[in-house]
Amino acid sequence: MNNLKRRKAANFIAMTLASLCAAVGLALLFIILYDVLVEGLGSLKPRLFTQDPAPPNIAGAGGLRSAFLGQGLLTLAASIIGVPLGILGGTFLAEYGRHLRICRFISTLSDMAVSIPSIVIGTFAYAILVKPMGGFNGWAGAVALAIIILPIIVRTTEEMMSMVPWALREAAFALGAPYHKVITGIVWRASMSGIFTGVLLAIARVAGETAPLLFTSFNSNFFQLNMSRAVPSLTVSIYQYAASPYESWVGLAWAAAFVVTILVLILNIIGRIIVKMRKRD
Amino acid sequence: MEDLLSVNKLDFFYGQNHALKDVTLPIKKNKITSLIGPSGCGKTTLLRCFNRMHDLYPNNRYQGEIMMEGENILGDRVDVIKLRNSMGMVFQKPTPFPMSVFDNVAYGLRLKSIRNMSVLKEKVEKALRQAAVWEEVKDRLNQNAQGLSGGQQQRLVIARTLAVEPQVILFDESTSALDPISSKKIEELMVELKEDVTIIAVTHNMQQAARISDYTALMYIGSLVEYDDTATIFTNPKHKMTEEYVTGRFG
Ligand SMILES: Nc1ncnc2c1ncn2[C@@H]1O[C@H](COP(=O)(O)OP(=O)(O)OP(=O)(O)O)[C@@H](O)[C@H]1O
Ligand SMILES: [Mg+2]
Repeated sequence: MNNLKRRKAANFIAMTLASLCAAVGLALLFIILYDVLVEGLGSLKPRLFTQDPAPPNIAGAGGLRSAFLGQGLLTLAASIIGVPLGILGGTFLAEYGRHLRICRFISTLSDMAVSIPSIVIGTFAYAILVKPMGGFNGWAGAVALAIIILPIIVRTTEEMMSMVPWALREAAFALGAPYHKVITGIVWRASMSGIFTGVLLAIARVAGETAPLLFTSFNSNFFQLNMSRAVPSLTVSIYQYAASPYESWVGLAWAAAFVVTILVLILNIIGRIIVKMRKRD
Repeated sequence: MEDLLSVNKLDFFYGQNHALKDVTLPIKKNKITSLIGPSGCGKTTLLRCFNRMHDLYPNNRYQGEIMMEGENILGDRVDVIKLRNSMGMVFQKPTPFPMSVFDNVAYGLRLKSIRNMSVLKEKVEKALRQAAVWEEVKDRLNQNAQGLSGGQQQRLVIARTLAVEPQVILFDESTSALDPISSKKIEELMVELKEDVTIIAVTHNMQQAARISDYTALMYIGSLVEYDDTATIFTNPKHKMTEEYVTGRFG
């Protein structure tokens, strides 16, 4: 009985602590969201999307159109590099390499890579793609973002594909299907929505990144989408504008932050909805 | 009676695990052969030798031979994909692919590069009719096959197997996960299919083995105990163990 009481007390303390931590986390999240919402909505103007950056002293002018496009371009380029590599890598780990010890090791490494601070990846991209090229460039930024999404996609692909029952593969083999057709026609199809969700969440993860871009593609105040030069970036602009002494720039930063937050939120919500729908059937 | 397959001194190893020991038995053409025996005796293992399913996993090893039309199908030079085309397999649980009913049945045909839609339609319908499931699915050919009932799924899987016109179909306890009515339908189907194919069926259900099979093989711890025509096995077996097993006194 004494033992039971002690366990109950321990349970109570653990639960209280955990709930408290969750409450603090949630409260902070909501304060941030609230702030972004109020300040962002207050400064949200059409010119944010229609005009390019202007000097702070011109009243009622200037937006971040080029930064939106630049950020989109970087994210797109990162996805084009990272998504196929990630899916193919995850496929290898789940299928051809599932018995190899090295593949188990790679899986573990990918899990660790997911939590590498993104600024470290930014400095890595700086060392291999900015310094040798002689200056900031879009490719370096795209590669840095691609390196961030790669392990996420590798691992979700691997996990989603491993969840497909072996019986399904065997049924296809039993009809005389070669392995690559079993993978593309059966396993990918069965795990498609899971892989898609992983891709979406990975992209959401980098769409709002600043740190890996600071040393790579940096930022540009001009409408310029040439990937071999510095590319305008929304997040880096937010970073610079928010820290500036000019009220109009700070307002633009809030508005842009609001838009990025909403976009990332939407991506995440779509991802969660797909996960939920999968669970149901 | 003509032998389609003959298993000669077959041994099989899962790594160190010696799962089949010196198994020799014939498989008669256009007949149903039942494999029976207590759990873990090697029925599934033997069945999966016929379509070389064991090749999918490392460290599995065959020794001995299974002859089919003058060729050892366990040989190194055998085209496993071609072999599997002629050896259909139906598993215990239904395995519909995550695609439409039509695409499920067409899967094997498309693997053989049959693309012509009217040919596909014709063959899919024929297979579904043969598997006695056409009436139930003809209005939902474009719906996801995973929405069918378990019994319908199992007959769909049989149709998918039949579509590629195999010589042999291997059934591994294919009715054990189904309700009595569905399982009766599949039993009747198996008997009808004898016209076109040779059937090897693993079952735990003694009545089923007695009802549908022409020949029966009893296995025990990896070895073949007795093989004979079903009537003999069930009424006048040579081995005491067989008698005890089929009457349910052991196993
Ligand atoms: N993949 C495997 N690796 C190692 N040993 C295995 C493997 N599959 C089966 N075995 C072993 O081989 C023996 C035969 O197994 P098998 O699955 O063929 O039996 P079974 O007669 O089909 O049994 P059940 O009636 O329960 O399905 C068993 O001892 C089993 O533990
Ligand atoms: Mg079995």
